Amino acid sequence: MINRRAFLKLGAISAATGLVTGSILSQARELPHQGGRGFSPTTGQRRRSVPSTCYQCVTRCPNIIYTENDRVVKVEGQPNSIRTEGVMCAKGQGAVNQVNDPDRVLYPMRRVGKRGEGKWKRVSWDEALDELAGRLKTLRDAGTPEKFMFQYGRMKASTSKLVKSVFLGTYGTGTIGNHTSICEGGKWTAHELTWGGHYDNWDFDNTRYVLNFGSNVFEAHTNHIPTSPRLVRAMAERGVKLVTFDVRLSNTAAKSDEWVPVKPGTDLAVILAMCNVVMREDLYEGPGEAFLKFVKVTRRHDATLEEKIVALKEHFAEYTPEWAEQQSGVPAVTIQRIAREFATTHPACLMTYRGAVAHYNGNEAERAAQTLAAITGNIDNPGGRCKAVGAGWSYPHGPKNKPKSRKLKIIDGPPGLAAVPTHHMSHYVMKMIKDGSWGRPDVYMTYKYTPIYANGEVAENVEILKDESLIPFYVNINPFYDESAALADLILPEPTFLERWDWEDMVSPVQIPEYYIRQPAVKPLGETRDFGDVVCDLAERMGMPLGFKSKEEFVRLSCEMTPDVKAVGGFEYMKKNGVYHVPGSKPLYYSYTKEIPAGKYVADGVIYDEDTGVYWNWKKAHHHSESEARAKGYAHTKKAFKAYVGQRIGDKVYQGFKPDALNKSGYFELYSNILEEKGHKPRPTWMAIPEHEKMGPNDLYMTTYKVGVQIHSRSANCKYLTEIYHDNPAWINPKDADKRGISDGDAIRVKSPIGEVETKARLTEAIRPGVIAISHHCGHWQYGRYASGNKSPSGVDTDPDTKRIWWQEEGRDGKGVHPNWIIANAPDPINGQQRWMDTVVQISKV
Amino acid sequence: MASDSSKKTLSRRQFLKVGAAAATTAATLPATVASATTKQSIHYAMVIDTRRCIGCHACSVACKTEFEVPLGESRSWVEYVEKGIFPNVRRSFLPRLCNHCDEPDCVDVCPTGATYKIASNGIVDITKDICIGCGYCIQACPYGARFLNPETGTADKCNFCLHRVSEGLVPSCVNTCQGRARIFGDINDPDSEISRVLATNAVSVLRPEMGTKPNVFYIDADHTDERDAERYNTYVRIDTHRRQKRRV
Repeated sequence: MINRRAFLKLGAISAATGLVTGSILSQARELPHQGGRGFSPTTGQRRRSVPSTCYQCVTRCPNIIYTENDRVVKVEGQPNSIRTEGVMCAKGQGAVNQVNDPDRVLYPMRRVGKRGEGKWKRVSWDEALDELAGRLKTLRDAGTPEKFMFQYGRMKASTSKLVKSVFLGTYGTGTIGNHTSICEGGKWTAHELTWGGHYDNWDFDNTRYVLNFGSNVFEAHTNHIPTSPRLVRAMAERGVKLVTFDVRLSNTAAKSDEWVPVKPGTDLAVILAMCNVVMREDLYEGPGEAFLKFVKVTRRHDATLEEKIVALKEHFAEYTPEWAEQQSGVPAVTIQRIAREFATTHPACLMTYRGAVAHYNGNEAERAAQTLAAITGNIDNPGGRCKAVGAGWSYPHGPKNKPKSRKLKIIDGPPGLAAVPTHHMSHYVMKMIKDGSWGRPDVYMTYKYTPIYANGEVAENVEILKDESLIPFYVNINPFYDESAALADLILPEPTFLERWDWEDMVSPVQIPEYYIRQPAVKPLGETRDFGDVVCDLAERMGMPLGFKSKEEFVRLSCEMTPDVKAVGGFEYMKKNGVYHVPGSKPLYYSYTKEIPAGKYVADGVIYDEDTGVYWNWKKAHHHSESEARAKGYAHTKKAFKAYVGQRIGDKVYQGFKPDALNKSGYFELYSNILEEKGHKPRPTWMAIPEHEKMGPNDLYMTTYKVGVQIHSRSANCKYLTEIYHDNPAWINPKDADKRGISDGDAIRVKSPIGEVETKARLTEAIRPGVIAISHHCGHWQYGRYASGNKSPSGVDTDPDTKRIWWQEEGRDGKGVHPNWIIANAPDPINGQQRWMDTVVQISKV
Repeated sequence: MASDSSKKTLSRRQFLKVGAAAATTAATLPATVASATTKQSIHYAMVIDTRRCIGCHACSVACKTEFEVPLGESRSWVEYVEKGIFPNVRRSFLPRLCNHCDEPDCVDVCPTGATYKIASNGIVDITKDICIGCGYCIQACPYGARFLNPETGTADKCNFCLHRVSEGLVPSCVNTCQGRARIFGDINDPDSEISRVLATNAVSVLRPEMGTKPNVFYIDADHTDERDAERYNTYVRIDTHRRQKRRV
């Protein structure tokens, strides 16, 4: 028996460790300063430490970099970070290998010989930038700046603002491609259609139940370390249940209380059926019902609660668990039981990722997931699925008078192929260039992006990028000689992320923003120059100075302009401490319930839109008159969302779920007038995957995945990571293998409609029969010795480990295969997301 | 498997302290442990709570970088055990390192005394200057924890990050562990976190039949090996994630 005093103490401790359900814990967790010390194991000398930020993956965890004699020797997590609490993943630890890689690009290189032939001439920066500035200036002065196409992979926060908003904005090109559609852009579009902005934070610290569709959060996630350890903690310390739907036993599935091996592409059916259970069994009553006030369920925005409930019941009536069992192979009783558990254990957190969304029906899977979370009252609440919170930096915007940008319409795919590709269709850029109907760039520049390797249809990508008649001049900005750099005309050497400046702003798991910076731990190697510095230089050469001379200056000015950061000492504080959050900040939940004061919506230019219930500012929406604005209406005015003021619900006006990319209302929209007008179903609706509908008896589903020790395409040169994971035999269930006479380790041929690859079979019970899985990361043919066995043109022989790449030795594991050779570039018809998981293949023993 | 000193039961008050200790980050050692490194009574050990391990390999890579371990060798690694028949299949994770045994075979066979157990703290270490690289210890270790370092020509293995521990820091693998699955400390100190964890959990060690008395204790470890596939007529696959593919 515990006496009262002990009991009270227990309560206090529990509050600090997260044992009390429903309490908001992040306030209690202020970490003592403990990091920043490291010692050499050979000399015992203290190592120099630099607080900085990882950039192995997009999570961008604050870290501490240790150096000895100006060489990076070690990286650790930043213990003062409220996002990571000082832990760091394998990839982050492996960052040491990025900076010390023996196959880096060390100086600007100009192609001699044929494109892709591998013959290079070392050139000076002056020579390289004079040529580049000359070409860009010519395009700009001819009034065709859009013929300069820029496309990026890894570019966020300060680099994004400096390069995209300031430099490219000042230059005048809007032909800016990204890579989001090959990540999870489709998930973000579904968010923009439902709750306005994009990104969901899973509040594991406060949750009581976690339901996961297709996220491998324990190995790979865009906010990996801020979330994964918190989920471990919730499970280990509070007994939180984790249920994972996945076609294979990922490490996340393996650590789950329950793994449900769902048929590929049918997560949507399961989620719809769970909505059916919730509505049919009245499990929405309580938090779900209360939340419905902010939800739009019908075409009309002013439906009553009763009307909303009736509409939801009617909509989901056909999606019974029995129906979903037919689609997904998951027993109806399992669907029903999990739906009940999820709906009755409040708060509960609904996770989704590429397993659910990188499909033909991915947009609907994510909208259905949003629906399930909404009708159980698990949206933007402690313990639920929350709207993302990140640091809001101020920064210099560069020259005031920027030209109106011009762009080639090649970044969203052919017109109509996807209804609302708000995150573009990067996997279609090569096809669009080949087609030529919408123009072609004269100068194509990629920044930390490998169009060859990262997209599907590798063979076509190579063919197009090699063709000088399609792409006359290709500039590749890269720390490494990867598969795309090998096809460039000019390579500009970029430092690794351990040698450069940035401010950072990634999403906080505790709903409190964290400000943090990246700073160089060592001088950039060789002649490498931060692209942020390079664009300042280029701008000068083109006679359009940006107002600052370097990325460092941009970061410093941003620190001085950002009130929270300036208040504690600005740039100097950040250089010393690396991270900052305002002490005592309250976690941000329920932001949609904020009421808008009358002064804001009874104001000059603000009008009420009857159709949507939105207050919007017609002047900000660039209308000429109020009558013109009223005639056109909020929903049909171009980019009217930028003029959104608030949402009237009943007799009050709320901030609501503020639109961020589309002209949606301020409701949480389960009924999308936008999709309806585009000819799609307004409410989340079952969509069968065409390829899966016509599968023959010998066909298999092929899916892809990522592992915990590699980044998609930018880590295979990290020797310590690749030593652990360098080979990716296809996972296949022994049942499927037996039928084809395939044994473990056999060489197999995998054939899709667009090509075939050879790999090995890994017979495992850890995958659903009928499915094979081949990971990303492997099968490089450039990028350096650890990745591919090929030395880069500027590679050095100073690392003795280049002689010890045991996995590439005869008879050993080998370097694996890249699945993208046989995956078509194909979009989700609603949001344009690349459909990584829909490929149908046949396999045979070689 | 806990040592005698940690077997005594905890009072309620101590139990509450366990919670408090667990709440703090494991980035540094408690002051008591750090200052005690000069005393003679320390017995360092590690508990690995596999329930909190997600097989992420952060420990392995942290170790590789801390010591610049040459490719092909490892001081610290994580094994995966996959077993069962679909859909009743599981994968568990077993982090591995030197066990710093109380009765280490490696010490017994060393002809020069290079491999020894540090009397003041129990860590098994190697004096590189007098190691002749004969490899006896590598053969003798029942855990495959040792290797011949191609750079130095001497035996090598985990030493619980002695250079960090003597500065009051936890070993590098403990520092980075995502799930906070690793608890390092002095099991002679009944108030240490590790002593409390050992006293309140069932633990096991690897290959206890070897009689080496390991000091790495596991909570909920899966000891399945390949022989179990035949024994129980099921599927078992073990991945060592190192050059040495066979689990030792």
